[in-house]
Amino acid sequence: MNNILEIFDLNHSFDKEVYVLDNINLTVKSGEILSILGPSGCGKTTLLRIIAGLEKQTNGIIKINNKIVSDQSCFIPPEKRNLGLIVQERSLFPHLTNYENILFGIKDLDDKNEIARDYLELFKIDHLKDKYPHEISGGEQQRIALARSLAPSPALLLMDEPFNALDEKLKIEMYAEIKKIFKEKKLTVLIVSHDRDEAAFLSDKLITIEDGSIKEMLDTN
Amino acid sequence: MLKFQAINFWGSIPYLILALFVLPVIIIISSLFGEWSENWSHIYNFVLFDYVSNSILLVMGVTVVVFIIGVGSAWIITNYKFFGKNTLEWALILPLSVPPYILAYTFTGLFDTYGTANNLLRDLFNLQSDYAFFPNIRNIYGAIIVFSFTLYPYVYLVSRSAFLNQSQAMIEAARLLGLNKIQVFFKLAVPIIRPAIIGGIMLVSMETLSDFGAVDHFAIQTFTTGIFRTWYGMYDINTAMQLASMLLLFVGLFLILERYSRNNAIYTSKSSTFRPIKLTKLQGHQGGLAFLICFLPVFIGFILPILELSFWAFERNLNFFDYKFLITTQNTIILAITAGILCSIFALLVNYSIRFNKDNFSRHAGSLLSLGYAVPGLILAVGIVQLFTWLDATVFVTSKIVLTGSLIGLIFAYIIKSYALANSSIESGYERISSSIDDSARVLKSTGFDMLKKIHFPLLKTSFLTSTLLVISEVTKELPATLILRPFNFDTLAVSTYIYAAEERMMQASAPAIAIVMVGLIPIIILTKMIRTSRPGKRDYE
Repeated sequence: MNNILEIFDLNHSFDKEVYVLDNINLTVKSGEILSILGPSGCGKTTLLRIIAGLEKQTNGIIKINNKIVSDQSCFIPPEKRNLGLIVQERSLFPHLTNYENILFGIKDLDDKNEIARDYLELFKIDHLKDKYPHEISGGEQQRIALARSLAPSPALLLMDEPFNALDEKLKIEMYAEIKKIFKEKKLTVLIVSHDRDEAAFLSDKLITIEDGSIKEMLDTN
Repeated sequence: MLKFQAINFWGSIPYLILALFVLPVIIIISSLFGEWSENWSHIYNFVLFDYVSNSILLVMGVTVVVFIIGVGSAWIITNYKFFGKNTLEWALILPLSVPPYILAYTFTGLFDTYGTANNLLRDLFNLQSDYAFFPNIRNIYGAIIVFSFTLYPYVYLVSRSAFLNQSQAMIEAARLLGLNKIQVFFKLAVPIIRPAIIGGIMLVSMETLSDFGAVDHFAIQTFTTGIFRTWYGMYDINTAMQLASMLLLFVGLFLILERYSRNNAIYTSKSSTFRPIKLTKLQGHQGGLAFLICFLPVFIGFILPILELSFWAFERNLNFFDYKFLITTQNTIILAITAGILCSIFALLVNYSIRFNKDNFSRHAGSLLSLGYAVPGLILAVGIVQLFTWLDATVFVTSKIVLTGSLIGLIFAYIIKSYALANSSIESGYERISSSIDDSARVLKSTGFDMLKKIHFPLLKTSFLTSTLLVISEVTKELPATLILRPFNFDTLAVSTYIYAAEERMMQASAPAIAIVMVGLIPIIILTKMIRTSRPGKRDYE
């Protein structure tokens, strides 16, 4: 399996004094699901934002699909990294219908409607396509957000506390369903979470970050 | 921290617009380093003292009266329950829709020796035709009344908002420590919200200093009338600019005080300890007195001028829908809508840029843009005329006069003057859009203009509309800049009102004046909506 994401000697500081991320080295292989676990404020979301290109690291190298996307001399912006991103708030565009939300990232493709329909079917949300995000439940919104992120076929899907806003029962239902889809589609996924059970269930590998450094790496399989 | 190449274009927007905005002001200030003519000696020896003393007296008088009306009515509204309270709570801001110059015209029509009020009372008591019940209003004291009753809502609004944020627990603690209700007001409630009150009063002071229409109608020698006379009477624009620079220094001082007060306005109770103020029910003569205190400013600042204007309109058998009125209205609508849309677009672009270019310089540049509201319209007009004359003489030399006397200057002045209004609306709209929406859009390959068009603008439609409406209302009222910068024979409602009033044709002035007040009601409706939805413990419409 080839490496989809590689991170070498990554440090990050917002004020050039205190380092929120310190000497991070990480690899995610194709089709692998990796969870980053850690308490609030440990720097896990910052790491995810740096991988997405929404922040620029202070030092270190990030490679996606064997290509440097960020180091001291080069920076490829998020829109050119071919990534998917799911955040806790789900961030669906409230003025667009659910279907238009899914189409948003693939609007230039000829087969955009077929792709959107496939994902509507995959996530069993076909009946919600003409509704607006505020008209559906939290779990349904999460499905739309997943469909929207996966429609452009990203090399890597980044998920920041994706199930935080859902109730326990719904979370457990979704874990199994989502993991099945990830594995069927052979997706490479990086999940940031503070919930050890969630991380252990969803991922193949699990790393723990504390005070900005990787403390532990486990193979959940 | 983000430095993306694609955003560099957007990052430069606040600076480009700021450069455009400060040019007229720089031109005005540069006059201080130029030649001082004989006219200046004349002004210095004979009238400058009057300009300064009248301006100071005016500002001081207005400050005292707006403090009493604004803070007093806000305290009564936020602490007591009485007949008519719910209506008066929003009605107290209605006088904001009446520009001072229109109140000045209507007061003249009402209280002059042969004005409506004196005529009515003479008829009632069957008195001699030269008997006057009311003293002459066309003096500095009359002007103080006019400014106070149109501008007090600025103080009322900030005081009300600040009083609403005071906790009942604090008032109860003070009462237990031995203060009675009046002492609580003077020793606790008012001192705590002092920064907010000072901020409101500084706004009123700046508006008073900037006014031209009312002081000109009352023939009071102030800086603005002086600038106008030096230019149009002595034909000496350089000396007019030097006078304008001095006025600008005064305004700058008030602006610094206002900003300082705003930064110190920490009067919001912590939510964990906050308990809304318990309203005391007033009945009988106490309730009647509270009603009267709050109703009087609305009556003098809004109902009375509306009644007088309506009376004039009916006297003319509603004959004001003539061709000239329609043309004037059309001119005003075109100008106001153009300025409103452009100003909102500027505010949208600047806020979009600041959202991504998260450095402090952009933010400061954005804040500086909002200071245009403090520059008196007359000064802006003088600066823009000079700037455009220079541009016509140097850049557009082959095509002769392109900018001078065109509508571009007028719209430019309106945009600078109204930018703060547009910005406040767009900025608060942007605050409601989560940054994670932007992150998602960027990852989905939407950046720059595409994100603005497909994500931000649809989400900001209401803010954009509100911003445009606020600017339209402001532009419709603006007089001095319009008077100077309008193309030849191009009248607006404000100019038309001014010209009719200057010719003492009050009845003809009523139609455009009523139209201005009607448009002025737009921001009041928006504010009223905000007042109704504002809750204690939460800052609103600051």
